Amino acid sequence: MHREFCRRGAWLLPLALAACDGPQSALDPAGHEAEAVSQLFWWMAGASLVLWVLVVGLSFYASRRREQPWPARRAARLILVCGALLPTLLLAALLVFGLRLMPVLRAPGDGLRVEVEGQQFWWRVRYVLPDGRRFETANEVRLPVGSRTEFLLTAQDVIHSFWIPSLGGKMDMIPGTTNRLVLEPTQTGRFRGACAEFCGASHALMAMSVEVMEPEAFTAWVEREAGAAAASTDEGAALFLARGCGACHTVRGTAAAGRVGPDLTHLGARPTIAAGILPNSPENIDRFIRETQAIKPAARMPSFGMLPPAESAAIATWLGSLR
Amino acid sequence: MVIRIRDKADLWTLLMPPTVWALHFLFCYLVAAVHCAKKGGINLAEPSSGASFAPLAEVRPLVAIGTAVALALIVVSAWQAWRHWGAGTEDPPHDAATPEDRQHFLGLATLLLSGLSFASVIFIALPAFLITDCR
Amino acid sequence: MSEQLREQQEERLNRVWASPPGWRYWSAVNNTEVGRWYTLTAFGFFLFAGALALLVRAQLAVPDNTLIPAPLYNQLFTLHGTAMMFLFAVPIFEAVAILLLPTMLAARDLPFPRLSAFGYWCFLIGGVFVCGSIFFNAAPDGGWFMYPPLTTDPKLSGIGADIWLLGLSFIEVASIAAAVELIVGVLKCRPPGMRINTIPLYCWYVLIVGGMILFAFPPLIAGDILFELERMADWPFFDPARGGDPLLWQHLFWIFGHPEVYIIFLPSIALMAMLVPTFARRKIIGYSWIVLAAVGTGFLSFGLWVHHMFTTGLPAISLGFFSAASEAVAIPTGVQIFVFIATMLAGRVVFTVPMLFAAGSLAIFVIGGLTGVMVAIAPFDWQAHDSYFVVAHLHYVLIGGMLLPLLAGAYYYVPLVTGRKLSDRLGKWVFWLMFAGFNIGFMPMHFTGLRGMPRRVFTYPTGIGWDWLNLVSTLGAFIFAAGVLLFAWDLLWGFRRREQAPRNLWNAGTLEWLNALPGPTYGVRSVPEVASRYPLWDQPDLPREVDEGRWYLPDAEEGQRETMVTSVLDSHPIQCLRVPGNSFMPMICAILIGGSFIATTYHLYWTALGFGIAGMFGIMTWLWRGTAMIPEKEEKMVGRGLTLSLYVSGTQSVGWWAMFITMFGDMTAFASLVFSYFYYWTIHEVFPPLAPDGAPMGPGLLWPAVAFGLLALAWGAMLWARARNTAGSATGLRLGLGIGVLAALGSAAAMLWAPWQAGLAPTTHVYPAAVWVLLIWAALHLALGVVMQGYCMARSFAGKLTTRWDIDIHNVVLYWHFAAITGAVTLAVTALFPLLA
Repeated sequence: MHREFCRRGAWLLPLALAACDGPQSALDPAGHEAEAVSQLFWWMAGASLVLWVLVVGLSFYASRRREQPWPARRAARLILVCGALLPTLLLAALLVFGLRLMPVLRAPGDGLRVEVEGQQFWWRVRYVLPDGRRFETANEVRLPVGSRTEFLLTAQDVIHSFWIPSLGGKMDMIPGTTNRLVLEPTQTGRFRGACAEFCGASHALMAMSVEVMEPEAFTAWVEREAGAAAASTDEGAALFLARGCGACHTVRGTAAAGRVGPDLTHLGARPTIAAGILPNSPENIDRFIRETQAIKPAARMPSFGMLPPAESAAIATWLGSLR
Repeated sequence: MVIRIRDKADLWTLLMPPTVWALHFLFCYLVAAVHCAKKGGINLAEPSSGASFAPLAEVRPLVAIGTAVALALIVVSAWQAWRHWGAGTEDPPHDAATPEDRQHFLGLATLLLSGLSFASVIFIALPAFLITDCR
Repeated sequence: MSEQLREQQEERLNRVWASPPGWRYWSAVNNTEVGRWYTLTAFGFFLFAGALALLVRAQLAVPDNTLIPAPLYNQLFTLHGTAMMFLFAVPIFEAVAILLLPTMLAARDLPFPRLSAFGYWCFLIGGVFVCGSIFFNAAPDGGWFMYPPLTTDPKLSGIGADIWLLGLSFIEVASIAAAVELIVGVLKCRPPGMRINTIPLYCWYVLIVGGMILFAFPPLIAGDILFELERMADWPFFDPARGGDPLLWQHLFWIFGHPEVYIIFLPSIALMAMLVPTFARRKIIGYSWIVLAAVGTGFLSFGLWVHHMFTTGLPAISLGFFSAASEAVAIPTGVQIFVFIATMLAGRVVFTVPMLFAAGSLAIFVIGGLTGVMVAIAPFDWQAHDSYFVVAHLHYVLIGGMLLPLLAGAYYYVPLVTGRKLSDRLGKWVFWLMFAGFNIGFMPMHFTGLRGMPRRVFTYPTGIGWDWLNLVSTLGAFIFAAGVLLFAWDLLWGFRRREQAPRNLWNAGTLEWLNALPGPTYGVRSVPEVASRYPLWDQPDLPREVDEGRWYLPDAEEGQRETMVTSVLDSHPIQCLRVPGNSFMPMICAILIGGSFIATTYHLYWTALGFGIAGMFGIMTWLWRGTAMIPEKEEKMVGRGLTLSLYVSGTQSVGWWAMFITMFGDMTAFASLVFSYFYYWTIHEVFPPLAPDGAPMGPGLLWPAVAFGLLALAWGAMLWARARNTAGSATGLRLGLGIGVLAALGSAAAMLWAPWQAGLAPTTHVYPAAVWVLLIWAALHLALGVVMQGYCMARSFAGKLTTRWDIDIHNVVLYWHFAAITGAVTLAVTALFPLLA
């Protein structure tokens, strides 16, 4: 309905034509908060348009010569009524509406908790299930449709901001502080989130993939994701350990248990790699291993261009197979 | 500066109503912020978000009293400004270079500022009555 | 009055006020010269910052662009914002005010011309230093609000952060100097008869904005001090691992940052308040409403800062207060707009190029204002914050509320300064290029932002829906830039071809149009008595009488620069003020102090100390030779039978007011440091923290008590010294000063000894760091007080400070009142508060 509202509202503002949809659009809402805010925006935009036309029209009229200038008393009354009283009432009404909305949007969740820690330039994601089980993943958030999920947000190095426009507003991730954000998706689908607070050279390259799923599918994903990677005698797995990747990365079920970089246990199942900036394919994983600093300047991982191409390709193939 | 009752208006009487606003604003913000900083919080060991939403029940009467005092002071200031203005016996613009017009001008400007400050104090008090806890 | 006498008078005035020829021209301090340099320099920084923005837009024109690499891009947008805010928007206000204010007040100059010149040189040096860094790939790159820890961690940010902090702190000091100058100018340098209800509206705005600068800039300076201490000495103010909090910087920055928006906006609206009545051919309707709006905005703007922090996770109730204030501030802004509309409705409008810009600015600013009302609603801001929606919003506010009114003012006032009009024909081109370019460039950004594009990204992938919106924005930006360039050409070269403008060419009613154009360096020929808000409309004989020298101060018999000082409310003449003339001292002092800041940036602490001490001596020399000068006679006839004193002290002197106002700003900085201390108290469960032995940390009670006793003695000695001096005893004065020096030094030493002997190590935790910074601040104030006591002592021995000529001791005692408050509060907070907590 809101999408429709957006399309219907759009013709009002010529530039808004078809400017609403997208995987990262606050005007193409798929969550409770985003819907409320998108609706609020269209109401405010419509009212603003009317007010703008009135004020600019009045000043245009005032700037034309007319036979009889207004008497001073009448002009002074205009200031009192249109300049002071009417705005006070309109603003008070808007303020009350906005204040009442806030506690609603911050209401408690339904039990699922996701802890996300921002780092230059990726997201460490930890699921804490209602039954107390925990598992870790990275750069990907999956949510069950129709229930409220609480996010606990913090940062390891500098300030980041966690933002999935399709579902709701953003919340900053601040070192030393834990912030709370509750999102309630209302539609399934794939979306994109991004870091919204400038966090360094590759701030533009810090995104994440978001998938809202039916509750059953979500449960199935959780079960698979919580488990370890399938044991493998793959050549890539051996190289991964031999070349020291495990010093920074964890792949549960192998000896790799590094805590510096993203958990790669089920990397192959993620739609994107490198924090939402490249489609997930063995070729892209290989490229990222070899040209890290070119793809993501100032990332903490060095480029591994010195590896023989066959080795990095083997590692990439293996990582891509971890589902 | 906050209470300044004078027969002659000056720049300090002009600043009285917005100063009351500023003090009221600071009071509300500090009371609520300190309350929430000391009482609220997130405990990572607890289930769900572990957030405890401290209720604002203790803060609300304080804000109510502060608001009543602030509004009373602004009314006092407005009443004084009304007298300085000459109780509206004369229309603006009060632009003659005379002591009377200076007095009338300062009175009117203060009266208008009292109006703005009155409305703004009410604006500031609203959150304390529409938001019930520290979420 | 004979023709011959008039010519002699004019010649004397010209000689006294002339700027020196050749290279000595740069020693000029007259407001007409300094104002021009200031305006052109600020305009130059505007063009520079605009060029940076074009590079930013070029990079964003298409997705996955590789034109500009990320590190350079980050420097570009940081420097764009920094330069536009600190090197253009605020300085251009000061520049225009220095240029226009004396003409509106029929004053010959502002009360402290050398201070204006000093401010200008600080601005130039600091600005070139900050901007030049980009050519060495060393510009700040953390965004113009420099959030820690990104900018405090030396591993993540290089020398650019230091350049930002120190270069801008230096300029902020200059801004405060200008604010002091302008406030005293409006309050004390009006022409006789210009009562508070008849001063030009521009002056009301200048007064309010000056006051706002005094309350807004010091918190940033306090923040800069904490920031630089963390970067250089590793004091953990913003480091959560050691008890600090990065959010404190955001508070301090935005307590400055939001009033800053109104500090920029109000002076431009002030220009509109001058030109709208002129072109509506009638007096303003709602003069009192404008005063309401200016004062109301000034106050409310200090209750908005957290709306830049709506997404930092503060409790909803806190957001609510700031959301409410952010809505409330729209009321006075709406009033201002309707005052202009009402004045136009009640007049007969002549539609000129300045009015075209004024109308265009209204159309743009109203959009910015309305989107401002939207983002003040916190839930909407959670989506819009830090997205391109906010980029669009802030540019609509600043271009519509600041730049276009400023250009309207430029088309209106350029003839006043150069004697020639800008081109009407080109003006229309400039307007339409800028208006169209701006809307094409920035309107789409509202949608780019709501479609999820964060600000400060150097690139973006294709397919999210940002591609063509960004392309259109880039196109618009370049059209806008074409308009700016056309204007720059007309302002710098084009006007030379136009003919001389006639006197009062717009048929305006206010005093700045009193003179034939361009005005002489001495300002008005004689200082008139004013009886109306629009004297040129209501007192038709005034220009003739002024020209004929029939009013006050028509001559400079003693070869001194003179202007009139009047009372605050009713403008009764008080004094004929001798203002100092041309001097290289302001420039030299600015270079020395600037050298000290720049050396600190490169960690050359000894060089910095050397420059700092030299700068201190420079300032002392400047004060010694240029202030509190003893006149050759007590009084002077200024014309029309009026005799005015040449030397007044205490609350009547402008120097006392300057000290009072400066110390108000100083107290704001101090209050920010105290706020920081209590901020840490709110975020910690136990504050002060417990020492290893289980007792709370702290400086103890003994040494703070000693410091307090000596502080009280020093302050009392100053009061006694002043009383003895008034009673005619030079010995008493010197004795009091001597006791004061010893007691103050002892107090400062005890203040520093207290934390030292208690073993408080400032790098271990934020608590000792906060205690140290407060005590050092207080001790430095006492040290500065000692310098002033020594200065008074020397003046006394040199015969320049006596019972009759006593400006210095009054001003120094005033300083000591504030220093005593600073010391006492510091001791109470650091020594007594731990007992309560």
